[in-house]
Amino acid sequence: MTDITLNVNGEVKTASVPPETTLLKMLREDLNFTGAKIGCDVGDCGACTVLVDGLAVNACLMLAAQANGKEVLTIEGLSTLDKYHPIQKAFEDVAALQCGFCGPGMIMATKALIDQEQELTRDQIKDALSGNLCRCTGYTKIIDGVIDAYEKITGRKVPARNPRAA
Amino acid sequence: MVDETKLAEKQETVETLRKVDDDLRLPSVPERNFFPKEIDIAPARLQTPAIGQRATRPDGRLHGLGQTKYIDDMFFPGMLHAKIKRAGVAHAKIKSIDVSEAQKMPGVQATLIGSEIPVNSFGPSLQDQPLLADQVVRHAGDGIAAVAAVTEQQALDALEKIKVVYEELPPVFDPIEAMSEDAIKIHNNDSNIYASKTIIKGDIEQGFKDSDYIFERRFTTQMVEHVPMEPHASIAEWDANGRVTLHSSLGRITLGRADIARTLEMPINRIRIIATVVGGNFGGKNEITTEPIISLLSKKTGRPVKCVFTREDEFISSTTRHPFIMDYKTGVSKEGKILARKVRIVCDGGAYCSWTETTLGKASILSAGPYNVENLHVDAYAVYTTKTVTGAMRGFGAPQVCFAYESHMDDIAAELGIEPLEIRLMNAFNEGSSSPTGQVLESVVVSDSLIMATERFGWKEWQK
Repeated sequence: MTDITLNVNGEVKTASVPPETTLLKMLREDLNFTGAKIGCDVGDCGACTVLVDGLAVNACLMLAAQANGKEVLTIEGLSTLDKYHPIQKAFEDVAALQCGFCGPGMIMATKALIDQEQELTRDQIKDALSGNLCRCTGYTKIIDGVIDAYEKITGRKVPARNPRAA
Repeated sequence: MVDETKLAEKQETVETLRKVDDDLRLPSVPERNFFPKEIDIAPARLQTPAIGQRATRPDGRLHGLGQTKYIDDMFFPGMLHAKIKRAGVAHAKIKSIDVSEAQKMPGVQATLIGSEIPVNSFGPSLQDQPLLADQVVRHAGDGIAAVAAVTEQQALDALEKIKVVYEELPPVFDPIEAMSEDAIKIHNNDSNIYASKTIIKGDIEQGFKDSDYIFERRFTTQMVEHVPMEPHASIAEWDANGRVTLHSSLGRITLGRADIARTLEMPINRIRIIATVVGGNFGGKNEITTEPIISLLSKKTGRPVKCVFTREDEFISSTTRHPFIMDYKTGVSKEGKILARKVRIVCDGGAYCSWTETTLGKASILSAGPYNVENLHVDAYAVYTTKTVTGAMRGFGAPQVCFAYESHMDDIAAELGIEPLEIRLMNAFNEGSSSPTGQVLESVVVSDSLIMATERFGWKEWQK
């Protein structure tokens, strides 16, 4: 067993897990943060995205031991019901979440993107979210949600979409 | 224009509906945003005040907060994890299954093989699919045995210790080959064709005689997996009174309940299914998969048992969209009017029936397209092959034939030098047209829709 101490959503947590345990399994099963989902367990779908020291990470590809001593932010740490994060609000407003399974990962990936404080275009947003799969929405609403959140948080504007572009 | 009083009435209905809905929501959820703020009611063809409205989803908030509980997010005290051993061979006789080594593995609490299941078969129309194959393997994703262990990893490790001896049989992968009389029979039937459908309308021979041109082409589509973000998942708890409670991602719980009762040979009132939020279904979660297996594992161990498909299980063992081989032969006049059409559909039905019969029926009826075809002959066959099970997926066979008849339409238009839009308008259903099966159609707006759509997305400009 490996002893792990890390900071999850601002609280210090400890767990003793078998060495092969991934960060995702530890978060879900030992620490009860079930917001990050197991979609593929091989790093393809992004449903398990969490932030480790501010960077978006597929929690299924990171061993729990690699997260030892780091700061992890999960969807549960982003906000609460009465203190709602603008990204979540934007996703809800444009109906970007249908079955919702990809939602937590999408929202965390979006947070990592917006936190970089870059000028963004629609194509860059698509690129940045290419590691997060969704099977319900066809992505249009999700991109709309990201743009809505980005504009509200940063006060910048995403250039209007060329109607002829795909 | 819209009648003012009617408009006010509709707005009132909308407000009332919103109010009722809002009262039932989470208490601390702030007021909803509506897009657009002003109610935009289109004057034509409006059926309910809901049309044209944009509303937020009531469950969107919990999804966004990561608080929605899917099956895999639920844990019960003492819960075990089950995993299924897959065959890995396409077609084989099972000589023996030895689970004794697996039972000795650390953390393993119980194992289950097909012969321990009271009625080891299921299926929505033909009950031809075993829950765990016990005599014959008919595709590589067939389950052979299940293991319940304390952790998922222990269950996976134990699967490797299960010894199965196979006598391999020749596989059949091509549906056309499978149709022939001397093909290997996958289900010990006289033929691998297990469902067929014929539609005959008008006089096909005369139709072809009257035609100026005849076009023939074969269209094929591939197998498609639903890939729901959430894999199939369920939790079973067999209680001391002999009742089983299942949390499941099953879409059709009533049908599933009847199927589970049948396989477990127990009264249906002893089975309780709690349907949870589903992380994507798309037709792939319309029938039972592991529910009876984990129910029996729960009965054996006296503990709740959870089974979540790995992504690999999802690809190789859950249902997929049928690959179709479609032969189209269409006779047209020189103006482009369809006079006769002959269609042969061979539907690769995979190893088991699942929803194939339904799919085949729908595909046949829709195979002529939304066009007036007075002389029509459709033959459709569903064929067993030793491939992944094919079942329901968005549209039940409609997308496959749509691809074929629309591509065929474009071919004909190009060959005759007619505008793709023109040939469709010329042949499209109108009010009172009859469908291939003789249904008289009402509220037909195919042409209007086509014209409106082409105007809106600039079809004419795009062509220049």
